[in-house]
Amino acid sequence: MGDSDWQALSARQSGLKACTSCGALQPLADHEPCRDCGAAVHSRRTNSLQRVWAFLIVGVMAYFPANIYPIMKTRSFTGNTTDTILSGVVVLIQSGSYVVALIIFVASICIPVLKFLIIAGLALSLQHDWDISTHNRHRLHAVTEFIGRWSMIDVFVVAVLAALIQLGAIMTIIPGVGINAFAASVIFTMLAASSLDPRLLWDHTNDD
Amino acid sequence: MTIAAGKLEEQTDLNHLVACPGCDLLHHCRTLEKGEYARCRRCGDVIQTRKPHTIDRSLAAVLASIVLLLVSLCLPFLSLSRAGIASSISILDAVAALWFNHMRWLALLTLAFIVLLPLTRLLLLGWVLWRIRFKRKIRRGMRTAFRWSIRMEPWAMAEIFMVGVVVSLVKISTLANLHTGLAFWSLLILIAISCYINLVLCKDTIWAILTGKR
Repeated sequence: MGDSDWQALSARQSGLKACTSCGALQPLADHEPCRDCGAAVHSRRTNSLQRVWAFLIVGVMAYFPANIYPIMKTRSFTGNTTDTILSGVVVLIQSGSYVVALIIFVASICIPVLKFLIIAGLALSLQHDWDISTHNRHRLHAVTEFIGRWSMIDVFVVAVLAALIQLGAIMTIIPGVGINAFAASVIFTMLAASSLDPRLLWDHTNDD
Repeated sequence: MTIAAGKLEEQTDLNHLVACPGCDLLHHCRTLEKGEYARCRRCGDVIQTRKPHTIDRSLAAVLASIVLLLVSLCLPFLSLSRAGIASSISILDAVAALWFNHMRWLALLTLAFIVLLPLTRLLLLGWVLWRIRFKRKIRRGMRTAFRWSIRMEPWAMAEIFMVGVVVSLVKISTLANLHTGLAFWSLLILIAISCYINLVLCKDTIWAILTGKR
């Protein structure tokens, strides 16, 4: 940004804080709710990192049973089968539905694992002042917030199949405990991503 | 334009400043032409927008979405037949089936993410836009309503449900004959319209109206 003495100011450095819902500014010392929209205004989200770690740990913990236990049981006159997340993907590949197999693999395995790593990485980078470009970290955070909800696909697949396929003795599909754990994992990871205040990333940065 | 250190005068009107939601950098407000938007100089997030005809367009889209959502909820979205037994379900049937087959937590999750949250969000948004459009008195409750409709956005998952339905279609297409119902198509249009709402809904303009700054 040109000349070296020139230092742009954040709202916090100017003694102001912005409402995250409507954008109105108020003095830092002001503890009233936002005068424009009534939301509570915090300069930085309260206990941001603590919340991130708490939600993330629950999310990771729930991800293990989600993968170990079956997400779906199929009872039919040809026999009973159970499916885990991974075996569901394998079955799809074997039946030749490569595109759908890829969608499920990305949504249920790649996205959750990447999200765990990215959120943990961002939180650690804040705690230990890692020297990573803030622009890149900001982009990573935006991406994780955007893609997180798409992991819910598998939950809805099981819900639709379990509701639709109730044909008594011919064929019945029952959801397994794994899907509850998986839904919990997705929800808590979404909460972890939204607890991370992106403005914290920029507080100790020299990037312009 | 950003604010340089020491240049922020005591008397600067806070309404003429805007902090970037992504990185908190303070900028002077710019006067935007219709259809223009301003980005943060540091992190590149959008800090100011001025979308044209936002009230008319969003209200039309919200009303259409409410109708389509009700249609999608009540009419069957999938039906299947195998060995003479046919089964056809709407979203509400699906939720009821899950509930009565002792999968209550999955039923509640589906109900919340597909029915309650999207419907509440649309009704709140519709109420706010309707009162603005027809020049009714601005009530304080409208600000709360608009704030909540923004907060609910990431949790309304109709489009994700849609992908889930398509995947289920593929998964069981070998086992039974499947047909998509009317609700399937209305859900598809609903998703297109909800993208449109995101494009035309100008939060800056609506906040300015709601807070009387315009």
